[in-house]
Amino acid sequence: MLALKTKAIEIINLTKRYPNGRGINDLNLEVEQGEIFGFLGPNGAGKTTVMKVMTGLIKPDSGDVKLFGASIQDDYVTAMQHVGCVIETAESYPYLTAYENLKMFARYYPHVDEKRIDHCLETVGLLKYKHEKPRKFSLGMKQRLGLACAILSNPKLLILDEPMNGLDVEGMLDMRHLIKRLAEEEGTTFFISSHLIHDVERTCTQIGIIYNGRLLSVKHMDQILANYASLEHYFVSEVDRNGRI
Amino acid sequence: MGAFKAALINEMFKLRKKRKLTAAAILSILAVLVGQVAVTGVNLGFGLRVTGSTEFPLMVLTLMAYTVLPLLATFVAIDMFNGELATNTMKLTLTRPVSRFGIFCAKVLNLALFIVANLWFVMVLSLVAGWLFNPTSFSMAGLFKVFLAYTVTFLPIFVFALGVVLLANVLSGGLAVFFVSVLLFIGFNFISLLFSQFSSFLVTSMFDWYTQWIAQPLNGFKVLRQTLILVGCGLMLFTAGYHLFDRKDI
Repeated sequence: MLALKTKAIEIINLTKRYPNGRGINDLNLEVEQGEIFGFLGPNGAGKTTVMKVMTGLIKPDSGDVKLFGASIQDDYVTAMQHVGCVIETAESYPYLTAYENLKMFARYYPHVDEKRIDHCLETVGLLKYKHEKPRKFSLGMKQRLGLACAILSNPKLLILDEPMNGLDVEGMLDMRHLIKRLAEEEGTTFFISSHLIHDVERTCTQIGIIYNGRLLSVKHMDQILANYASLEHYFVSEVDRNGRI
Repeated sequence: MGAFKAALINEMFKLRKKRKLTAAAILSILAVLVGQVAVTGVNLGFGLRVTGSTEFPLMVLTLMAYTVLPLLATFVAIDMFNGELATNTMKLTLTRPVSRFGIFCAKVLNLALFIVANLWFVMVLSLVAGWLFNPTSFSMAGLFKVFLAYTVTFLPIFVFALGVVLLANVLSGGLAVFFVSVLLFIGFNFISLLFSQFSSFLVTSMFDWYTQWIAQPLNGFKVLRQTLILVGCGLMLFTAGYHLFDRKDI
């Protein structure tokens, strides 16, 4: 019997053009619940633009994004109810402590209490810096705080733009384990963009490649590794093929 | 409603943590102190009685309404919009399950609460100072006048602050918004001096409109007309500001 999977993300004919001509063009994509989707592409390919449209930070020229069936344009509050994200850089309020930063976000979710805040800080290894302000944090610590803010509400979908940025080796391993654990134990769906292709290969279950604002291909990792020596080979081959075109 | 409440509490929390309230309180105390020293100086030096205990707060209000109050409201408005965009923290608020309208309303309401709190703080300070230095002329009728004057002054300053909010959503730099706001403030005051027949349509010329509210007899029609003009301006500025905020790409 086939298991019925719910669509966590539906991107429908999405187009967004910037005045400089860059952007994304007629993008279509579906990601099922529980997948760890790796979004790959060269610099300026349109990864962040897609993520920004998905989280309502920018408005598309045409098309729509649905998160768990709710349109980001027509029903933003419902669409974002179960979403956590870190877009571009993990920002935080520098004049508030790590705890106060999380408390600010906790107010939007009635089920998030003090215990959950402490748990999230502990998960990302920042509990002992709970009462310190992020202006004194290193890049990696800021990234960890950003991730704590993203997972605070126990979201069903996590959209992470370059989540490994600034993390040391230990941090990257922790992050990878956390992503896998959340996907396996809680069925969290991930939409991750990263330049660290080796990490993507070891973490993601599905890969989408974007080039020049167009989605070139979407394949499952086992499919890719069955035909190519590594994800890097697959990525280079796809980008090369389309670059020549 | 829950998300709006959370957004409003967060805005108030951020304002408090940035120590804007402390700065506002210090400036307000300084203004009242300077006013009281001037009044006492004239009283002792020339033997003239400038103000009584409930007239002193009105003198302070005229001074504050054209200087510190709009200045502080401008700073807060710029910080809430341009400041957050410059530090990339606006996206932290926008990516939560709350609509942009809810966030915009929370920011504007926070600005309104800041103006009210600032006005009432100055009122209490100046009443205490006036009462301490001139206790004999204190009266309940005077107290009511002071309360009315400070309360109604909220509206023109709030409408001006909405203008700053609109500018903050038009221009990207906080410094540019500040200078344009100052230029508009000076320009509007200058125009209202040159063309007094149009002054009713310029928000800045209504910063002392409390004089009409406490005038004897009260010109009800004029007060109503100016209230409607202010409310109309406020609604237009709010709508335009929200339209730009809603369409802004972060």
